[in-house]
Amino acid sequence: MAVLRGLQLAGLAAAGLVVLIGQLAAFVPGFGLGMIFLLPGPILLARRFTGYARTRLDRWTGVAAPADYVPEPPPPQRQPDGYYRHDRQLFRGPRLPRFLGRLEWVLGDMATFRDLRWQLLNPVTGGLLALLPAGLVAAGPVLLWRGLPSWAAVPGVERGVAAGMLGCLALLLGPVLAPTAVRASGYVSRALLTRGGRVRQLLGDRAKGWFQRQGLSGTRVLALLGLSLLGLPMLALTALGLLLGYGLGLIFLISPALSCMRWLANWRRHLAGAWSDVPVPVPYLPRPQLARQADGMYQVGKHLYRTEQVAWFHQRLLWLTHDRATWRDILWLQTDPLVALLLLVPPTLMVVYGIWGLAMPRLWMTLLPIPEYGNAWYGSLGGSAAAAIPVGLLLAWLGGRLSPLVLRLHGRWTALLLAPTRGAVLAQRVARLTESRADAVDAQAAELRRIERDLHDGAQARLVALGMTLGAVEQLVDTDPAAAKALLARGRESAQTALRELRELVRGIYPPVLAERGLADAVRALALDTPLPVTVTADLPGRLSAPLESAAYFAVAEALTNAVRHAGASTVAVDLAAGTVLRITVADDGAGGAEPGLGSGLRGIERRLGMFDGVLTVDSPPGGPTRLTMEIPCASSSPRTSTSSERV
Amino acid sequence: MRVVLAEDLYLLREGLIQLLQAHGATVVAAVETGPELLAALTTHRPDVAVVDVRLPPTHTDEGLRAALAARREIPGLPVLVLSQHVEQLYARELLADGSGGIGYLLKDRVLNAEQFLDAVRRVAAGGTAMDPDVIARLMSGGRAKAPVAALTAREREVLGLMAEGRSNTAIARALFVSEGAVGKHIASIFTKLDLAQSDDDNRRVLAVLAYLDDARPQ
Repeated sequence: MAVLRGLQLAGLAAAGLVVLIGQLAAFVPGFGLGMIFLLPGPILLARRFTGYARTRLDRWTGVAAPADYVPEPPPPQRQPDGYYRHDRQLFRGPRLPRFLGRLEWVLGDMATFRDLRWQLLNPVTGGLLALLPAGLVAAGPVLLWRGLPSWAAVPGVERGVAAGMLGCLALLLGPVLAPTAVRASGYVSRALLTRGGRVRQLLGDRAKGWFQRQGLSGTRVLALLGLSLLGLPMLALTALGLLLGYGLGLIFLISPALSCMRWLANWRRHLAGAWSDVPVPVPYLPRPQLARQADGMYQVGKHLYRTEQVAWFHQRLLWLTHDRATWRDILWLQTDPLVALLLLVPPTLMVVYGIWGLAMPRLWMTLLPIPEYGNAWYGSLGGSAAAAIPVGLLLAWLGGRLSPLVLRLHGRWTALLLAPTRGAVLAQRVARLTESRADAVDAQAAELRRIERDLHDGAQARLVALGMTLGAVEQLVDTDPAAAKALLARGRESAQTALRELRELVRGIYPPVLAERGLADAVRALALDTPLPVTVTADLPGRLSAPLESAAYFAVAEALTNAVRHAGASTVAVDLAAGTVLRITVADDGAGGAEPGLGSGLRGIERRLGMFDGVLTVDSPPGGPTRLTMEIPCASSSPRTSTSSERV
Repeated sequence: MRVVLAEDLYLLREGLIQLLQAHGATVVAAVETGPELLAALTTHRPDVAVVDVRLPPTHTDEGLRAALAARREIPGLPVLVLSQHVEQLYARELLADGSGGIGYLLKDRVLNAEQFLDAVRRVAAGGTAMDPDVIARLMSGGRAKAPVAALTAREREVLGLMAEGRSNTAIARALFVSEGAVGKHIASIFTKLDLAQSDDDNRRVLAVLAYLDDARPQ
């Protein structure tokens, strides 16, 4: 009975192989040609088969391998604006986002790959194991009938006798072994289909770690090698563009060619940071604004243009060609393939030659009964075949160890030509400063306008009214003392209101606590006036410079207002710490979802900090909590130079 | 009543001297700076000090710090602090030692001579005079505990005046009710807030302020 079960299990394994081949047939165009719409269907069909196999396994072998698929995501819901959302993309109809959701669900589930693993490996492990008893039972009669094959002759024993004994043994052993084999096959299937125990996971993690260290850097070396060679057609393209552009006057070809090159260079800058751990900033100058003049013309260089498109085109050309980084890019594009070959090929060759050139042939020749082959350098080392295996393995190991080092060197090389020069860094800084200065000037002008308006409509007007009241009192005091007294009371009220308004105004310009106590206590006072529990921790060495304190204070005030008004927070924590950098974090437990650039409040904070080269980082996932981190360099807070005669 | 006055603006200083002396107080010293104030306080040991927060030479919280320093030397020295702005932060610092004889008012309050002098006398007698602005912020700025929200509007008015440091008589006068009515309100407030009854005005104020301050989750 169990022998038949074994046969059934082997059949199941074989069916799994067929299913796998069916899926692979869809994977080839799916992954290879980008026809991703072919992917989820076969996988989901295959899941049905695997599910069926799981129930059979359970019934036949008594080994349960429960399915652990990630549950299917809900279909995309129509949003109030009529769109359907997938990730960060909006769609008009529900079909495409639904498909994308399914695709990510199926391919992102590790259980899918466990299924594939089972389909691939089970036929040669569990399946064979299950087939063993049936094989023995089948081999018994064959042995009895046909006798022992010639290669299995046992010296000293007559062939017929040996065959008879072995045949009987096989016939007996088959059914005896069958239950055990069936159960073992079940265990193998379970190991392949499920996530496995802790020991396996631990081993898996270690193997993964090894792969990450060695395999990953090896793959990156190969990828970079390929990318460098991709630079050759790009070089040809750029050269063609420049030649045709400058040589034949087809200048419209220059900009696209240079843009393509920038794209490749930027990609490599990114990879240098991500793979080689050598961050390479983008060196290009920011593109200047195209401004329309009073007479309706656009000026680019020394040329005036009537139409915006032509001016735009010329300006783009100037922007691309007048940037030194462009010419450094071209130099890089010419030399990079060569350098990449010199750097990246040796470790690659060491691994390839070490394994396939030295070790493998020798291994085959040693392990398998095949005739010796090879020459002085293939499968042997200078004629010595015995040295080939250790030297080959050593070479491969060395190549693997070299690859991280080579990756780093390659990153350095990329930085050498692609990183911004000191001039470019300064130019970028000037551009940023120009922008933040313009911001500062605008903000200051707006602030002064507000103060002027407040004074004009507030305190000034009240003082005028007070003066008039006093004039009236002067006239009335002799004739109608009672009326005069009433007027005086009104005058006093008027003065009090004026004082209150002035107080509010002063608070908005430069809070008195800030002037008297400095940042930490000013923020504490602010926290006391906030209708939320706010905890303030501060570690500040003495007073900071006044402009810095003011900017930081108003930034915190803005952040607290946001937390109260928009986040719906119930507690807020403010932390102030100063070393070379003043670091302020404002963390609330509110709804989150704050994005810089969206809220005018965050934009305001960025503007305030920008004047001091400060940065705002917002960490606010939807659902909260929100954490704003503001960092302002303390050293550059008051860059007063005596030579500066600029007035703002 | 012997008064030490610290105020750096000439006009205001002269005005305050006149106002105080017209109402029977003696200004034993009128100083301009923080160090002078500390010296004057320790030598004259006045019945009350009227102090501006911001004084030369630093024009920061010089006056406040000098007053606090003097109170450390002479515990319970009555100090009335004047400022162009009031902060809960400063109010806490002034009240921190819990020994009474503290006033903290906006300079605007000087415009109402009657009330200002009442505050001076109260502080000199070891009582408390908190600016209505501070009390208002204490009661509304923070998320007051549920019991405060459970008070009636009139009870909250009484609580506010009580926190400023007014006596039952003064509260009755301010709200145009009888003293007995005020007493009933106060008893009700103390029951609702679960505070210990106290006949001593100053201890009562401190209890109420501490309660309101506690209501502020800090």
